[in-house]
Amino acid sequence: MREEERNEALWRFGAYIFLMVIVVLVLIPLYWMIVAATIPQSEFFSWPPRLIPGLQWFDNFQALQENVDFLNSIGNSIIIAVAYTALSLVLCSMAGFAFAKYEFRFKEPLFYFILATLVLPIQLLIIPLFLLMVQIGWTNSYLAVILPWAANPLGIFLMRQNMQAIPESLLESARMDGATEFQLYYKIALPTMLPSLAALSIILFLNQWQAFLYPLVILQDPQMYTIPLALAELVGQQRVYFDQIMVATSLAVTPIFVVFLTMQQYFIKGILSGSVKQ
Amino acid sequence: MATIDITKLRKVFGDENGEIVAVDDLDLTVEDGEFLVFVGPSGCGKTTTLRCIAGLEDVTSGTIEFDGRDVTDRRARERDVAMVFQNYALYPHMTVRKNIGFPLRLSTKQSSDEIDARVEEIAGLLGIDTLLEQKPRELSGGQQQRVALGRAIIRDPEVFLMDEPLSNLDAKLRSTMRTELQELQSELGVTTAYVTHDQTEAMAMGDRIVILEGGELQQVGTPSDVYRSPANEFVAGFIGSPSINAFTADVDGGLLTGPGGFEYALDDPSLVEGYDRVRVGVRPEDLRPEVDGAMPSEVTVVEEMGNENFLYARMGDVDLTARIESEIHPEEGVTVAFGFDEEDLYLFDPKTSESIKTKTSETDISYEQYVQPGPDQ
Repeated sequence: MREEERNEALWRFGAYIFLMVIVVLVLIPLYWMIVAATIPQSEFFSWPPRLIPGLQWFDNFQALQENVDFLNSIGNSIIIAVAYTALSLVLCSMAGFAFAKYEFRFKEPLFYFILATLVLPIQLLIIPLFLLMVQIGWTNSYLAVILPWAANPLGIFLMRQNMQAIPESLLESARMDGATEFQLYYKIALPTMLPSLAALSIILFLNQWQAFLYPLVILQDPQMYTIPLALAELVGQQRVYFDQIMVATSLAVTPIFVVFLTMQQYFIKGILSGSVKQ
Repeated sequence: MATIDITKLRKVFGDENGEIVAVDDLDLTVEDGEFLVFVGPSGCGKTTTLRCIAGLEDVTSGTIEFDGRDVTDRRARERDVAMVFQNYALYPHMTVRKNIGFPLRLSTKQSSDEIDARVEEIAGLLGIDTLLEQKPRELSGGQQQRVALGRAIIRDPEVFLMDEPLSNLDAKLRSTMRTELQELQSELGVTTAYVTHDQTEAMAMGDRIVILEGGELQQVGTPSDVYRSPANEFVAGFIGSPSINAFTADVDGGLLTGPGGFEYALDDPSLVEGYDRVRVGVRPEDLRPEVDGAMPSEVTVVEEMGNENFLYARMGDVDLTARIESEIHPEEGVTVAFGFDEEDLYLFDPKTSESIKTKTSETDISYEQYVQPGPDQ
């Protein structure tokens, strides 16, 4: 018995060491990003590499701001990603609710058709979408970036799968209590789906935050650039502004942390429990 | 408060694999303020009937009227009906206060304060006023049940529907809640339709009982009616616990003979005139050991309940159950003859299984001599 306990403790110890090594490996590039953002580019390739952050962050940031108006890009990215996430959450949850809880003609084929659009690569859609946007005159607009991807097939799929767990009697009970079908969605389905919505919002936000190819085609005016487009500007044919890139990326990842930490509180386990007695 | 008139109600569930008739041409009236219990084995159509009254299920044909108003095509929320579900269906993200107040928030223009006051009144009535700020998952089964009830009664609906509301509670709580529900219903006087598969519950609670089988109405009547005068053998078998003993006997004039040496001479042979065979039924509580009993049977199991004994016995190829005094405990394996009074005998048509004869014993023994003068007399 004691032998077993000791063996288990050893295994545990080994597992923790292994995990810590992985964590360190993952953190090294992030740490280097912070260090590199605070030192002049001249020290970038010095050997041995610098490990202590310097004091150049503000200078690097000023250079970046003069170069590409990065603050403006952050603003663009936030507007686009937030609006996109909000709109997409509404559309995906409504569609998911319908697919999970209502019967209508061609429901199954329609659902699989939506899923099938997941296999279309973005490259295939960019040219037709670009032509469409030119025709309706939406190039260089937020709408052009937000709308085409707002009804997200993955989001619809996720919401449908999760909403199938809502007990039928819960909705029927609300119907008896006088709720309209929209109130079922709004007052019952959405609140019970908070964890799924939080998870989906992270996926959606991240997708839009890092979107590059489609915004690159649609947004030509530098005033409309999102963060990835501004970053791309820093990689020139003659010169790569490593110091500015590092400042920009360290700023670019911050909202991701914020979104994740805000949404984390909604990851409540078993929010549906206690609703129906099994 | 309302009278519910159900006329020729028919509900067919169907898909490409075929059709299932869940409710077949049901005609029924639930009187104003009545507590009506639907009972039957699973799949008999009782829950479907309730869901049709609720408006959660479209009817295939027939009409449902509340106080003469046709509500057949109205949605559930337009019917002023409240329902308690078997699994309670509480809103998991709302506190007890919000759960109970939910129907009022949706359906009336009352202010928050008015609703709150009403919620507290209802919670007090149900004894859950200390739980108002808790979430359903923090409550016990019995408390959840009360919240579900509270949500149903707060709106003062015309009709209450209850779908096996007690089946998830343990036995002790179930009998407490049974009494509470009855008191509550008679206090509020709301027309109530109640579904259960448990005939004991049906007998204990119902003003009248509706017995369904295979989507068809078997009988409607008071508990005493369906117990004493069942319309057919199915009702006789379903009502009463343990179940009635039933077997086939040959008829020879007034003499019934059956399996394992069963022999009984009817006092009134005219009952079985024109029959070669009949189905004979005797309830376990009407059997008693008798010297020349008509039913010689070998005792297989004796269950001592304390206040009475259940005897399980075999008469030929028929299994019998008898409820006898606790003082009599025959050994397993001995043969005992059981007898019964003819007034307690049931006879059924072997083909249609309709009743030929049911209980005729006295039902109304005067109790005036025992009545004590009340304080106000």
